[in-house]
Amino acid sequence: MLRLFRFLKPYILQIIVLLLSTALQVYCTLRLPALMADIINNGIVPGDTDHIWQAGLLMLGLAVLSAVGALVSNFFAAHIGSNFAKDLRRAVFKKVISLDLVDTKTFSTASLITRTTNDINQVQQATIMILSMLVRAPMFCIIALIMAFETAPDMTWIIAVAAGAILLSVFTIMLLVVPKFKIFQKLLDKLTLLTRENLTGLRVIRAFNKEQYEQDKFNKENDRMTKLIIFIEKILNLQNPLINIVFNAMTLLCSWVGISLLQKDIAYLGNMSAFAQYVGQVMISFLLLSILFIMLPRANVSAGRINEVLKTAPKIHWKKNTNGTPSKTPSVEFKNVDFTYEKAEEKVLSNISFRAEVGKTTALIGSTGSGKSTLINLVPRFFEATSGEILINDLNIKDYSREDLMKLIGFVPQRGMLFSGSVKENIAFGAPNASMEDIKAAAKIAQADDFIKKLPKDYNYHIAQGGTNVSGGQKQRLSIARAICKKPSILVFDDSFSALDMKTDAKLRQALKPLAKDSATLIVAQRVSTIKDADQIIVLDKGKIVGKGTHHELLKSCEIYQEIVKSQISEAEYKKELEEARHA
Amino acid sequence: MPKPTTPAAKAKNTKLAFKSLVHSLRPYRVAVVFAIILSVAAAVTGLFTPKILGEMTDVAKDTLATGLDWSTLGQKALLIIFLFIMSGLLTYIQSCILTVVTAKYTRSLRTAIIEKISRLPISYFDNHQFGDVLSRMSNDVDIIAMNLRQEIADLSFNIITIIGVIVIMAMTSVPLLLISLVVVVSSILVVGKIAAFAQKYFRKQQTILGELNSKIEESYSGQIVIKSSFHETATLDDFDETNKKLAKTTFKAQVCSMLAIPVTHIFTNLGYVVTCIVGGYFVLEGRISLGDIQAFIQYVTRFNRPINEVASITSTIQSVLAATERIFEFLNEPEEESDPVDAKTIEKVTGAVEFHNVSFSYDKEHPIIKNFSAKIAPGQQVAIVGPTGAGKTTIINLLMRFYEPDSGYITIDDVPTRELKRADVRKMFGMVLQDTWLFSGTIAENLKYGNAEVSDEEVVRAAKASNVHHVIESLSHGYQTIIDEDSDNISSGEKQLLTIARVVAANPQMIILDEATSNVDTRTEHLVQAAFEKITKGRTSFVIAHRLSTIRNADLILVMKDGNIVEQGNHIELLKKNGFYAELYNSQFADN
Repeated sequence: MLRLFRFLKPYILQIIVLLLSTALQVYCTLRLPALMADIINNGIVPGDTDHIWQAGLLMLGLAVLSAVGALVSNFFAAHIGSNFAKDLRRAVFKKVISLDLVDTKTFSTASLITRTTNDINQVQQATIMILSMLVRAPMFCIIALIMAFETAPDMTWIIAVAAGAILLSVFTIMLLVVPKFKIFQKLLDKLTLLTRENLTGLRVIRAFNKEQYEQDKFNKENDRMTKLIIFIEKILNLQNPLINIVFNAMTLLCSWVGISLLQKDIAYLGNMSAFAQYVGQVMISFLLLSILFIMLPRANVSAGRINEVLKTAPKIHWKKNTNGTPSKTPSVEFKNVDFTYEKAEEKVLSNISFRAEVGKTTALIGSTGSGKSTLINLVPRFFEATSGEILINDLNIKDYSREDLMKLIGFVPQRGMLFSGSVKENIAFGAPNASMEDIKAAAKIAQADDFIKKLPKDYNYHIAQGGTNVSGGQKQRLSIARAICKKPSILVFDDSFSALDMKTDAKLRQALKPLAKDSATLIVAQRVSTIKDADQIIVLDKGKIVGKGTHHELLKSCEIYQEIVKSQISEAEYKKELEEARHA
Repeated sequence: MPKPTTPAAKAKNTKLAFKSLVHSLRPYRVAVVFAIILSVAAAVTGLFTPKILGEMTDVAKDTLATGLDWSTLGQKALLIIFLFIMSGLLTYIQSCILTVVTAKYTRSLRTAIIEKISRLPISYFDNHQFGDVLSRMSNDVDIIAMNLRQEIADLSFNIITIIGVIVIMAMTSVPLLLISLVVVVSSILVVGKIAAFAQKYFRKQQTILGELNSKIEESYSGQIVIKSSFHETATLDDFDETNKKLAKTTFKAQVCSMLAIPVTHIFTNLGYVVTCIVGGYFVLEGRISLGDIQAFIQYVTRFNRPINEVASITSTIQSVLAATERIFEFLNEPEEESDPVDAKTIEKVTGAVEFHNVSFSYDKEHPIIKNFSAKIAPGQQVAIVGPTGAGKTTIINLLMRFYEPDSGYITIDDVPTRELKRADVRKMFGMVLQDTWLFSGTIAENLKYGNAEVSDEEVVRAAKASNVHHVIESLSHGYQTIIDEDSDNISSGEKQLLTIARVVAANPQMIILDEATSNVDTRTEHLVQAAFEKITKGRTSFVIAHRLSTIRNADLILVMKDGNIVEQGNHIELLKKNGFYAELYNSQFADN
């Protein structure tokens, strides 16, 4: 939490004003009981009505002043709190979108979202609480202590007793309960998990007739939860009555001690009443403090999670300006590239070398874990190769500025990912200057124009968040259109065709041909039919290249490729394919 | 301290929600009434402390000249101690009773929800989001758990305190009481106005927060696209705009809600000062004693809190009622028809399935299956083909009785399925879905899911038959490896193999398979395919097919398009027809 407070720096002046106004409020509020004692001692007891009026008016003035102080300090607490959260949120957001893909993966997207939303809200709430209450409490304590000492020095020790009693009761209860909170949270998570499973596994549970079994499992946890709650609450229930007893006992103690001091000084008649109120104020301050100390650990966990994101430094360093001139002819070349995830021992890719030429299609195929997706992510430098060189247009990608490299590459990710906004905006996402003709042309190639035209408001149709109002195949076609619209010299498809039916897949590849003439194309694919026509097929297995060539060449020579083909077509067709290969 | 003001959700039908809440609390009525009585007793015993303290002051003042009357003072002090300890004790017992009541009540709600889930028809979940049910289970139950206990106890305590304080104050001095009442009431009115303002801004804040959250979610999940489109600056600008809007509204909402405290303070202090001045005069005039005014000042401060709490209770009650309404709405959803009492049983299932003029629609307006009849002999394989979204899973929904046909019926071994128990029908089938659901637990537990009696050896045999044994063995804890929702130690293809092994272990007479399309890589797919061929041998099977090999060997192919069965027959028959199937089949070789 403390580390995040560096974000409070711009508000230092406002914090000072807040502190001063809080002090004013506290001082004015605490003067009131003393004046009341004054009214009793110097007005009521001697029968001086003028004095009552004077002191009374002074009290009124102080009451108003204290209110002004409170208003000002609250204004600033809210202002600082909300702006602090705004700055923090911006910093985290900016950091996350600049993070390397490796880091985003280790955090997981869901967790990053929580960190930017819920966690920051927690910290904001805590900060506002600190600014409006935590700051006030010690001031109340100190000023009340001074004033109590002034009005009745012989009774000051009662304050220490009161504070001690409050702290003792609150902390004993917390000590008993806090360790149980963790178990409580775990059980709560477990219950949620079980409910989720009951929902997501609905069909399976019914198919296996496991309804009763699932209910029993749930009820077991439900019972444990109920028992724990009852235990925790029974202890927590002690808090209110205990604090009430302490309050009452202290008030009684003040009166008792005050009365016993009366013979020494008649002024204790008014003073003991004022004093009781000071004691009350001090106890309330301590109570608030202890509540804060219960709340703060939660905010602190949130703060820690935020900090974790903020201190993650991107490991990929980009040149400000492109260093050197890339050639005009598009190409992608891998030279002895290795890739290992951080802290992992095994290489995901080892000794990868190949060259993708202009006008040619290079396809990558292999089983899960073969590293083909990792390889394709190295091209736009989403991941950094551990060793070896990657050249684009004959210039090492490390020598490019980010902007220049991204301009060259049209990347279509595995899952069609759209943003809320119009179809038009989505296609022009990477090419802000694209004309309507460009957008339509891209959509036509991506086989998206037909269905876009059928949408209400066609190109102005609003895509909902996450693209939930278009189908999976449509999403994928739009995201292909988006990549094409950039008119990139390198086209990269990361397994982007699987969501399409075979018919559309074939049509799209046909339409891509004219465009592909002026660019180098890289395709990761699952289906052999998608890549059969590729000029160069690279077969990956466990991070190594085990075959390189055309469909027919590989059918003859590469065992793993044969296996892949066999798994996708029938025995008879396979024989036919093999026959064709032999005669080609 | 005022509770944080969050936007209160309102129940659509407050009366009904209240009724169902009260009705569902009936089993606990004795305990609740007892707790209320205790709470009233606690309030009453707590009332007198300031009054007696004031009397002590008076006794001291009066006897000061003649030497303090310690015995009277001591008696009064003891009385005070007795009263506040009693009050504390009563409060504690009362809150413990209500704790147990609330805990048991929320437990019963949770159980009711989970049982309801298993009794609702599948169609309910196809039309509602999981998140919705989940939030009823967690958020709504929590709201009730947190507020109910407090409200029952506090409401009675506070009302009694308010009445008691007014009575005692009236006995001391009616004019002073009137002054404090005016102050307190106007303070509540003003604070209420402010709270209404705060509510408005909090609602607005909630809306903008939602907006910002979806922006964040979208940007984070689309990070690859943003990066490769070099779109960071524009994305950040867009974020900034909403972020600033949020900060502004948060500020307003916070200022408004925090305003309540100093405003209450102003009024309290005002009342305090006026009481001091007027009370001072009254003492001088001899209308009341010094002790009275001291007690009075204390009562004024005691007065404020319960009144504020009672005033703010409406919003809490509203949110409890809204939560209650949502829970009971769910609990009152119509359930699956129960099984016939004289349900038939099939001794030895051979796996002969027949559709007799089956018609079905999800929403009555769009008939999906019209008058469908087909006869499937034991051991035959049925393939269901068609483009995405053609309604291929419908047949499976009907077979498994997840849905019931509108007319016509299905028989298994000549017994209509509707005359059997649902559980018995489902037991005959083994189902492998695209959605590879496994529960969090060990692999062994998951494989035994269909039949808990299965021995460990049989589990291993099933895993071997499903080509997944070596995958399991290579995991760190073998069959004892724990898998959960986001476990990434096994791929989706391997998960599919596990679901096949789960079916093999259960050893059903008939098999249903929804072939996976994209998420499985080719080699694992090969393994899945091989495993599947093994287990369908000798069993009647239904396959939602994507692969040519499956389609061609099937005994019966059902071709679906736009939700209808448009053709049926075997591969050769259908090709001869040269209809939709032929088109579909040939398109796979478009580039040949």
